[in-house]
Amino acid sequence: MTVNKVIVTNLAVLQGKYSAGFRRVRDAIARLIAADKKRGLTTLHVAIDSAVDMRSAGGSPVTTASDRRQAKAAIDAVWTAYTPDYLMILGAPDVVPMQILRNPTRGDGDANVPSDLPYACAAPYSSDPSAFLGPTRVVGRLPDLLGGTNPAYLVSLLGTAARYRMRPREAFQRYLGLSAQVWQASTALSLAKVFGNSTALQTTPPRGPNWTNAQLARRAHFINCHGAESSPQYYGQPDGKEEYPVAHEAARLKRKVSNGTVIAAECCYGAQLYDPQDSAGQAGICSTYLADGAYGFFGSTTIAYGPSEGNGQADLICQFFLDSVLNGASLGRATLEARQRFVALYTHLDPTDLKTLTQFYLLGDPSIQAVGAVPHALSRTKAFKSAFKGAKTTTGGRAFRRERLARTGTNLARSVGATRPVKTRPPTHVTRALNAIAKESRIKELSRQSYAVSFPTSASSGDMKQFAATRRGRSVYVLFGEKITPDKVKRVVALAATVEDGKIVHMRRVHSR
Amino acid sequence: MILQGRVVRKRVSLGSKSEHEALVLVTADGEEYRLRRQEGNPFRDPELDVLEGKRIECEGIVRDGLVIMTQWSVLG
Repeated sequence: MTVNKVIVTNLAVLQGKYSAGFRRVRDAIARLIAADKKRGLTTLHVAIDSAVDMRSAGGSPVTTASDRRQAKAAIDAVWTAYTPDYLMILGAPDVVPMQILRNPTRGDGDANVPSDLPYACAAPYSSDPSAFLGPTRVVGRLPDLLGGTNPAYLVSLLGTAARYRMRPREAFQRYLGLSAQVWQASTALSLAKVFGNSTALQTTPPRGPNWTNAQLARRAHFINCHGAESSPQYYGQPDGKEEYPVAHEAARLKRKVSNGTVIAAECCYGAQLYDPQDSAGQAGICSTYLADGAYGFFGSTTIAYGPSEGNGQADLICQFFLDSVLNGASLGRATLEARQRFVALYTHLDPTDLKTLTQFYLLGDPSIQAVGAVPHALSRTKAFKSAFKGAKTTTGGRAFRRERLARTGTNLARSVGATRPVKTRPPTHVTRALNAIAKESRIKELSRQSYAVSFPTSASSGDMKQFAATRRGRSVYVLFGEKITPDKVKRVVALAATVEDGKIVHMRRVHSR
Repeated sequence: MILQGRVVRKRVSLGSKSEHEALVLVTADGEEYRLRRQEGNPFRDPELDVLEGKRIECEGIVRDGLVIMTQWSVLG
């Protein structure tokens, strides 16, 4: 039997959370599987804590729900056994844990980075984020509420997924674009790239958080604001001032989000799943969007990064996600394509790039195709309709896409390098150069960090041999400093020197936002 | 959880999109916790600004270096 989609969850945990109400969850899962069947998808429900289910998958059951190593091994086994087109993790991290990766930008306040990226990679369990540079799998998480006891929330999300319908591209052309005022140039650039214009950009201040019903009803939302841990609000910021007015809040979304909305949020902690008790019972913005009928939410678990001008890091990965969605990709494929496009931009991922890759993930059923792809004219011919009854693409279409994505991810894993923090001190001339730039730029030093850049051995095959020698001696040295802007606002600046065989070959200055 | 310590202002989330100044509780054993009032603005909360430089005892939910305070009192 060909399995197109697998739903993985920990049944014992769900039963424990919802007690008698678990029956409603089980029925909702069955309805989703039935709805998938009508759409031509064979969906299998696998309990990773079930000895029977895991034996069928050739793996071991999860015996401790929070054991990340067990969860990764179980999901890998399920993937290998069924090679589905879509893998949906059902439940919040207290049902199926997120993988906890070492924070590549240590010192920024995040102890680590909770991530679903490892589930999208063939690489085995590791807490090293650089082990997961080559995602190949289409994965998303349909969450319930962390610590939840009422099944209504999860039943509602499963129902939205079961009843989903594809809409034409035009239904997503009118968007809601929210930005902290201080980042409006960067956000305008992102909107222009994704939608072809930035005319609907709204900034906080002066506006927000009381967005009109018409604005909130638009089906594509792109958000570039501040966010914070366990907070049901996003925040704006005026140019040149340390003020953070509320830009967007969960409590104002209820019954205002259109069915089918897709959101990309660059905000720090923008897609963090926290216990609503942390915020007097109010679930986060991402959870509230999904409860109100949104199909998918792409955001970050932790502190996110972006350059002071232009686009980078969070801007790019969010753009790539929405771009794929609008071009007709399923939400899960859009997530995988965004990750792959992001990694493919670089020879090696520096610490902030690596954190960006690990922290962004999809909340939603990965098999949902929110936007209908434009079919080829051939599909309107009688001969095509006869050959592929009722289909707008050939049956091999998705299989070819999965093959391409697997090839791309595999190649990335074999060819892209990553930085790892090391304790070595920079060469004297590098220290001198960083000090000179810091002095000229009036930057007061806060800290320094050295990184080694390493590549897999397969990254030096074929024409890549010519770069092998220089790569071996590549390292990155970063000076974090503080600068007072003319309007008296403190800004952290990172000066990064890339060094090869003792020579400085590249320098970059990254401003905090 | 109940914690005691001195409130200082520090720059946090360095180099990120949301780098900002925040009130941080430094306990006697040197542990640091960012302070937040439940339902308060996590970036700038005038109700908490008055605590800067003071020793306080606070009660709340602790999450990865963050205290979401439900109540507090100034010790001196």
